[in-house]
Amino acid sequence: MKTKKIFRLTLLLVIATLICTACGQAAQPTIKIGVNAPLTGDIPKVGEGSKFAAEMWLEEIGGELEVGGQTYPVELVIEDNESKAESAASVNQKLITQDEVLAIVGPQSSKQAVPAGGAANDGQTPMVSPWSTNPNTTLNRPWVFRTPFLDSFQGPAVAKFVTEEFGFTKAGVLYDIASDYPKGLADYFKQGWEDIHGEGSVVAFESFTTGDTDFSAQITKIKESGAEFFFTPQYYNEVALIVQQARELGFNQPIVGSDSWGSAELLNLCGEDCYGLFYSSHYLAENPTGEAKEFIEGYEEKYGYVPDDVGALTWDTMHIIERAINECGEITGDIEADRTCVRDALANIKNFEGVTGTMTFTEEGDPIKCALIIKIGDDGSKSVYEQTCPEE
Amino acid sequence: MDVFLQQLMNALQWGSFYALIAIGYSMVYGVLMLFNFAHGDIFMVGAYIGFFVSSGLLALNLGSVIGLSTGVELGLVLVLTLIISMLLNSIVGMGVERIGYRPLREAPRASAAITGLMIGIILETANLALLGPQRRSFPELIPTTTITIAGASVTNKKILIVIVSLVLALLVHQFVQRTKWGMAMRAMAYDYVVVPLMGISSDRIALMTFAIGSALAAAAGILFGIAYPVLDPNMGILFGWKAFVAAILGGRGSILGAALAGFLLGFIEIFVTMIFPSTMRNLIAFGIILIILTFRPHGFFGEPFSAQLRL
Amino acid sequence: MPKKIISVGKKIWATMTGWLKKFWSNFRDVPLISWLVAFSVTVALEIFIGQALARMVGLSKPPALFGVALVLDNPAKFLSAIIYMILVYGLPVGVIAYLTKGVGNQIAEWLLQFPLLLTSVVHLLLIYGVMHYWTSISDYRLLVARLAMISIIVTLSLNVVNGYMGEFSCSHPGFMALGAYVSSIFTVLLFVTDNRFGDALLPAFLGPFMFPVSLVLGGFVSAAGALLVAIPSFRTRGDYLAIISLAFMFIVKSLFENLEVVGGARGISNQPDYANLWTIFVWTVLAIWIINNFVRSTMGKALNAVRDGELAASAMTVNTQKTKMVAFLFAAFWAGIGGGLFAHVIRYINPGTFGIRKLAEVLAMVYFGGLNSVTGSIVGAVGFSLISEALRPLDIFKWIFIPIMLILIMIYRPTGLIAFREFDVAQLFQPKGKKDEEGVDHAAA
Repeated sequence: MKTKKIFRLTLLLVIATLICTACGQAAQPTIKIGVNAPLTGDIPKVGEGSKFAAEMWLEEIGGELEVGGQTYPVELVIEDNESKAESAASVNQKLITQDEVLAIVGPQSSKQAVPAGGAANDGQTPMVSPWSTNPNTTLNRPWVFRTPFLDSFQGPAVAKFVTEEFGFTKAGVLYDIASDYPKGLADYFKQGWEDIHGEGSVVAFESFTTGDTDFSAQITKIKESGAEFFFTPQYYNEVALIVQQARELGFNQPIVGSDSWGSAELLNLCGEDCYGLFYSSHYLAENPTGEAKEFIEGYEEKYGYVPDDVGALTWDTMHIIERAINECGEITGDIEADRTCVRDALANIKNFEGVTGTMTFTEEGDPIKCALIIKIGDDGSKSVYEQTCPEE
Repeated sequence: MDVFLQQLMNALQWGSFYALIAIGYSMVYGVLMLFNFAHGDIFMVGAYIGFFVSSGLLALNLGSVIGLSTGVELGLVLVLTLIISMLLNSIVGMGVERIGYRPLREAPRASAAITGLMIGIILETANLALLGPQRRSFPELIPTTTITIAGASVTNKKILIVIVSLVLALLVHQFVQRTKWGMAMRAMAYDYVVVPLMGISSDRIALMTFAIGSALAAAAGILFGIAYPVLDPNMGILFGWKAFVAAILGGRGSILGAALAGFLLGFIEIFVTMIFPSTMRNLIAFGIILIILTFRPHGFFGEPFSAQLRL
Repeated sequence: MPKKIISVGKKIWATMTGWLKKFWSNFRDVPLISWLVAFSVTVALEIFIGQALARMVGLSKPPALFGVALVLDNPAKFLSAIIYMILVYGLPVGVIAYLTKGVGNQIAEWLLQFPLLLTSVVHLLLIYGVMHYWTSISDYRLLVARLAMISIIVTLSLNVVNGYMGEFSCSHPGFMALGAYVSSIFTVLLFVTDNRFGDALLPAFLGPFMFPVSLVLGGFVSAAGALLVAIPSFRTRGDYLAIISLAFMFIVKSLFENLEVVGGARGISNQPDYANLWTIFVWTVLAIWIINNFVRSTMGKALNAVRDGELAASAMTVNTQKTKMVAFLFAAFWAGIGGGLFAHVIRYINPGTFGIRKLAEVLAMVYFGGLNSVTGSIVGAVGFSLISEALRPLDIFKWIFIPIMLILIMIYRPTGLIAFREFDVAQLFQPKGKKDEEGVDHAAA
């Protein structure tokens, strides 16, 4: 009786299987690109910027790529890493082994990119982080690349700019000690500044913790220390508060920032307090030309705001990967061979013209590219004030 | 000396937020003996409600319609925003009580703490899902004027914030001490088993407690928006946990104790930053709290009975 | 009208549960060993024909976590996933477990004459074998399994304080951080050449042997740190202890942010890959075994006594100070071990990882699974890890869905899914069926 039941059930399943096989899938290989982004957690805005830029890229290529005379459908696999290190690692692992993506874009912040980079390197899948600045992300990892410039270049570049522009000798720094990007940049800035002006020329090195909104104690200290300006490599939402509080506390000297200021939202949040300030950046969304214009206008039309730096960097990342796939010449369908091919092509990319500048990867997978110093004018318009490039 | 004065002013402003949120925390904690871990996020919701209400009121352009000067209009908007947001947020608070806490009235307190934590996560995520990840800029309801007193810069906002917080704290204190409702709340805090037998509806008292706590959170949210005009969905997390520390440090059910502990927490944070390297702030500030509690195990105004988890 | 719908719904529910019960009654007398044999056959099946079968039913590869993520991602694949799951998991497991239950019971009976240790080793080897081959199919599965096992260690250790002792401790991320940092410093300093600590001091082949040392060291440091919470706990408890433990968590986080030697906010990376499946498995088994013995010992009963009434307990000659001290140190030790393993799985740690979010996660696992219960902690940790992994396709709504699920659990089972239940190893391995009248607990198996 019972055996009969089981037998019947098995029969049913086998029939169902056969039906399913009949309707089975076509054998055409798909090009899958994984996007590992923080859509929830601490920095959802960054994740959104990346996601939108990637989706826009997909739209631009019309959902398919022509490689070696054959068109392949392209699919984005966007996963949320919740802004957590372990989650970023398991998302990467999932993209590599379950979704079998050809390449991974992301994760954005270094605390996710470092562990995720390990997973990508072990899984032999090319990964390009559009935002991470920690050296360990790409260090000794041939499969991992990045598109932003490194802190070790940006920090001293800002120090040099301030010295030349204002002739100041005493600097203050205000940064978030609990977050690795501001921390790293603050350290490199300090180092760069002291290389120029000698030990002790950074007179105030103040910090706060992620999530804080009151910086009055730190700013009061900076003001008392006699600093002629201060550098604050913070995200634009914190910048708005910092600048405003500095002005309220009577600190009327310049405040200088880094690429994390590069967002259209900065001036919405900060208003007139931020007029006249300088920051370093990857690109400028105002008065774009050529491809950048296309990207920025398209993005704004589609999503209703001017893309942030992370959007532009993701856009470039997608195009770098596209170019690497194209240079590969063919998609064999053997995922391991294709990944190796894409990686080699990535490593050999020379003078890639992107929205955020011209890039060539070093052996470590870091780009050699220039930084822009942006000035926020007295009417709230942004313009390129200066360009600094790394020495060859 | 002027640095000290300046930092004192900074500490007063910073502490007044902790105080306001800690009072809301302390109400729920005192009456129902619950950790309301959702309180930080109710504060966030209050700030967002305030943002939408004030933006809406400003868009109505009352000034030109009725014919008021800008200053009066802004003042009117501020008062209306405060009232409307406090009302709306108290509804949110009551909803949270109804969904997350009432079913757990008889359950262990720790379980209610977990539902609170989870409701907090839901509020954050729902905000993110509904409004998107961009930050909101709170409209400027008070034009800033900076006054310099003895070398210390003070803005009119700071003074207003401190005064409003103190007034609200005193009002709540009077309410709890003087009114019939307040008496019922204190009775509940004293004995939650017997009081319902005396004809006092414990559900109603609980709802009221949550309503008042959330209204205070909304007020704090609006004041916060005025002082730090950038709102984001996660703004309540750290605040909530620190206010939790302040509420318990103040002692169980002591409104003024919670307010005082809130100010104290603000003072500790600001003055630690002033005296020590600011990188060590959390380390030293929490170290101080740990030491305080080691030697004063029941907070400042807490009764020295062992407040047990009802497991 | 709605009443009618409700009554019809109830009827359907009743019939369905009736069927399920009837169906399940066929399996009530299946001993653990038969289940394990059935699972090993299933895993073998998946390894040999899984790929082909998946292709046949229209999937590109065998679903990693029972197809939940797959279906949520693409509901059209529902049928395929169900068929795959039934063909590879449901059917073979059911049939083999059913067929081998006679033999299984005989074996279990026969194993009874040997010491418990031997029986356990046999079972554990089988469990490990199943897991090893199950995870060999996909690295993603492997990572999820490793993280889930670490969650078991951490959840169990938190349950000692929050469940058995009834405190509301918020310091667990701090303990994990201590363990993670100490063991990472140990292994990176000694066995890895990197840009932070310079050249490796010892040859790399020694590494895997020294790894347990590093973990235990981390555990001890973490236990030493727990003194900061344990000593104030003599004089206070409940809410005040909750904020003491919270302060401890913030202090530890801030400490590591300030320690430039260990990377500050940038953290430590490049931990060697020592935490492979079997290492974690061994540690997890050790943790379950030792913690289970601990909570069932006199000391464990003393913990419950302290929870239910401290004064009464001390009147009954329980040394409450010693009890609290031991509980905190013991829990912190295991949390430190968990942290050390975690660091070597992710191979990167920074102070931010051990913050409030981690705290919410660990607390959720404990209360989800059940207080005062080893089984509950295992179920909670594994269940929560798998659910949060499987629901990834929900994107942002994942963090609305999971909290709602937890709230419902709290409302309907306020102490968690499987609370206040003893975990008896001997009972687990016993032959089933004949002893039904004696109240053998099948659900626990």
